Amino acid sequence: MKRLGPFSVERVLVPSGAWVLAISLGAIAAALVAAGVIFWAFGINPLRAYAIIFAGTLADRRAAPEILRQAAPLLLAGVGLVLAFRAQFWNIGAEGQLLAGAVASTGVALFSPIPAPWLLPAMFVAGFLGGALWGLLPTLLRLKLEVNEVVSTLMMNYVALFSVEWLIHGPWKGKTAFGFAYTDTFPEAARLALIPGTRVHWPTLVLGIALAGALAFFLGRARLGFEIRVLGENPTAARYAGIDPFRTILLAMAFSAGAAGLAGVGEVAGIHHKLLAPGQVSLGYGYAAIIVAWLARGNPLAAILTALFLGLIFSSGDVMKVSLQMPFRVTDVFNGLILFFLIGSERLLNYRLRWAPGDRAAETADA
Amino acid sequence: MRWLTFLVVLVLAGGLAVPGIAQQKLKAGFVYVGPIGDYGWTHAHDFARKIAEKKLPWLETIYVEKVPEGQTESFIDKLILQGARVIFTTSFGFMDGTLAAAKRYPNHIFAHASGFKRAPNVATYMADFYQVYYLNGLMAGAATKSGKVGYVGAFPIPEVKRHMGAFALGVRAVNPKATVHVRWIYEWFNPTAAKEATEALIAEGADVFAFTEDTPTVVQVAAKRGLPSFGHYSPMHKFAPKHMISGQLVHWDKIYVDFLSKVYAGKYTAENLANVDYWWLLAEGAAELGGEFGMPVNPEWKARLQAVKVGTPDLGRLSVYDLVMKRLAQMSDPKVTFEPFTGPIKDRKGVLRVQSGKRMTVGELNGMEWAAPGIVGPWPKEP
Amino acid sequence: MLEWILTAIVRALAVSTPLLWASLGEIYAERSGVINLGVEGMMILGALFAFVVAQVTGYPVAGLLAAAAAGGLAALLHAFVSITLRANQYVSGLALTMLGLGLAGVLGRGWEGIPLLNALPEISGLTYLGLLLAVGLWLVLHHTRLGMVIRSTGESPAAAEALGVNVHLVRYLCVVFGGTMAGVAGGFLSVAYRPSWTEGMTAGLGWIAIAITIFAGWDPLKAVGGALFFGALFHLSFRLQAWVPPEALRMMPFAFTILVLAATSGRRRGRGAPEALGLPYAAGER
Repeated sequence: MKRLGPFSVERVLVPSGAWVLAISLGAIAAALVAAGVIFWAFGINPLRAYAIIFAGTLADRRAAPEILRQAAPLLLAGVGLVLAFRAQFWNIGAEGQLLAGAVASTGVALFSPIPAPWLLPAMFVAGFLGGALWGLLPTLLRLKLEVNEVVSTLMMNYVALFSVEWLIHGPWKGKTAFGFAYTDTFPEAARLALIPGTRVHWPTLVLGIALAGALAFFLGRARLGFEIRVLGENPTAARYAGIDPFRTILLAMAFSAGAAGLAGVGEVAGIHHKLLAPGQVSLGYGYAAIIVAWLARGNPLAAILTALFLGLIFSSGDVMKVSLQMPFRVTDVFNGLILFFLIGSERLLNYRLRWAPGDRAAETADA
Repeated sequence: MRWLTFLVVLVLAGGLAVPGIAQQKLKAGFVYVGPIGDYGWTHAHDFARKIAEKKLPWLETIYVEKVPEGQTESFIDKLILQGARVIFTTSFGFMDGTLAAAKRYPNHIFAHASGFKRAPNVATYMADFYQVYYLNGLMAGAATKSGKVGYVGAFPIPEVKRHMGAFALGVRAVNPKATVHVRWIYEWFNPTAAKEATEALIAEGADVFAFTEDTPTVVQVAAKRGLPSFGHYSPMHKFAPKHMISGQLVHWDKIYVDFLSKVYAGKYTAENLANVDYWWLLAEGAAELGGEFGMPVNPEWKARLQAVKVGTPDLGRLSVYDLVMKRLAQMSDPKVTFEPFTGPIKDRKGVLRVQSGKRMTVGELNGMEWAAPGIVGPWPKEP
Repeated sequence: MLEWILTAIVRALAVSTPLLWASLGEIYAERSGVINLGVEGMMILGALFAFVVAQVTGYPVAGLLAAAAAGGLAALLHAFVSITLRANQYVSGLALTMLGLGLAGVLGRGWEGIPLLNALPEISGLTYLGLLLAVGLWLVLHHTRLGMVIRSTGESPAAAEALGVNVHLVRYLCVVFGGTMAGVAGGFLSVAYRPSWTEGMTAGLGWIAIAITIFAGWDPLKAVGGALFFGALFHLSFRLQAWVPPEALRMMPFAFTILVLAATSGRRRGRGAPEALGLPYAAGER
């Protein structure tokens, strides 16, 4: 045990929620200070820059809803990744699973005879299955052949990307797309409702929140949730407890990849109303969702907050591009810095400051 | 009644003062699809934006790069919040977003590049250079020794197919046995892919190159092997001063200056744009032949192009250099006395695509999917 | 036919050069127990700094040195966060990729569209040096005490420490070495392969280098084969377009990575990853 002025520094095994929040906010603040150097290098006063960003995102009635719009796919994919990471499965493939979900739901929207009221639900089901199927191969390869899932899920992203290209340039190219690489547009019944006055497709957002809630409940109460927790935290104990890692990880990944697939449904049914170039369907949400999940530290409900936060970061990047005329890559700098400061500060979570001005005994006892 | 007279005078004075207010600056916002450093499409628009700003002292501009299609409206909101009164959206994918935003801002003026939907406050514009591609093709036909010309294509969409088609027609006009070999990279921007695609074409024996990709990679790769090429979109001469024969250059600034001047003069308003469509080519100065502004053909290549003679139905026998200059003059003429896509033209499968004596319409050009004769290689969605 | 194959081999050599350099570096980092998914980020920083320095000084070799320094510095950040702070290595690497792509995109503004006049030839010293390095690094790894120290750090850091090895120091050095190699790989792209700078020009090559590391079973000699294989695949994906649909070919290197990993993995001994790969190590804690 060490001392820091009048505080004593103590080790803790399970940090309190408030402490996690404090450390996380501190890390984000530190990252913003570090990012200030970038503004300064561009000849922009960092304080002014942040003021402009605030005015252009949270304080702007037209821009604020855009945060929700970007948070929706981040939340769905992020909730899925929370589960995968808890099962110690390094799913870097949410981007590809999102695209697979978009493809599956486009197939249903354009080519299925399902009648109007059931079309959207069917698209979500198809999107979930599409995403889950896309995640199935890397999962099986890891479980059966010990193929590193980081690389295989990542490679599957590229395979998904070129598959979408093939579809929109080939068999699914729309008759009304004037030669451009789009499918035909979805019928009205396949389009998600918007919050009036905004472009936020709220059903996706509701679905994300519901999924986060359900997952939190399930992890805390259900047998399988318990198994996933044990498997992630202590694989040896899991073996003794008779937990079948194959079944557990397979189910966790099916959910994880399926959730990312749902995010893809939201993008095509809520925004584009067609399938289009993969870089347009997802603006890197599958990768950013990794930050969402990591920030949430395994807590599905926290993912709601962290997805909103990442949505805010994306929106801030948009403001920087317009109001500060900065290069578009500046968003990546922010994401990278925030992620670095967050994981860098993680060690602090296992310590706690205790107000103990006269407590010298603890110090000597520890030494 | 005196006070009334006074009031009338005051109102009149106020009315006269309005033109004085109109002398203030006009702010235009540009929505780009790529990064401005791509050295292709977006770079060219940004270059033109700067020229327009220089030429029009009353113009202020603001831009935003790398805008996703799904966020067109949100970025238009931001630009308008910054005070932009005229918005240019520079990609086909921005079409629906532009029209939706135009409905919400009925007093603002919009112009959308490469689309076909207009509204009272939305005009459309496009600078195309299939004509210049044809001229490049003529020179490529003369420059190839192996009879194989290489083309690195971005995406198999009508715009690229049209350019490749015009290029191939040019090649065949000089060298009826030559072929144009195609490789697709499925990206507007991927220098590594463009490089390997070029290398693949070189390995197959291609010895002259043209391309559609937003970097000078193909030019650089060809030059390293001592092989000639044609630039694309931006001035790329400096990347291969000895080996680049020519290329296509775009002048979006001509359109921007024309459009903005008319807006400033009050000729274009938010009510009368429904029929304003710019389809500007060589004759309007929106396209230019060359690898560097003001240099239609690299002087290093002039003698070699003059040495190759070719027969034509309308101009008799002449050198390729003279043919290029004649055709350039014909297409730059306001009457456009020559047009590459004039029938009869059969596609590479032998199907008659353009009736004898007919010219392809703008609509047909914009929807062109067929492959011109002489093109070898995959052609997705070939009719 | 012979010529067809010969040109394919030459192209494979050229494309494999950056892949080989980057994967050799990654092999050493991973052998010491630290996985670094930031290869793409280190490469793009290397590409930018190599180009800028080569352009300003007129010496492409100076550019390559700058690239090595930039890659090494970026790796130092990963090392600090993942070794000293014991943060999750996967996430730290991803953060490095984002930060590298971001910084290069922001700092590189204004350097686009400028040709590098005195570029290095493509099949140059770097290609041969890469092959020599592969042999040298293999010898060091398997036949020297230093190599044994590195391997033991990655297999069982506690045992290594018991033998008097400074685990943190070894890991730091290996990770930074990996960064310098990735930096040079990026520099090769901007001063030799395609002598100019563009934002995002690494276009996923860093990820393929990571795949090669695993594909090669963390063996520098096998990495040569891996790099050549992927180099050939990338080239052939354009070469074969006359016969196979282009979209299918473009996804081939990525799909093949998965297939190859599946085919060569399995539970065979000797092919597996270093035992302690990805696990942070705290002195005296276990």
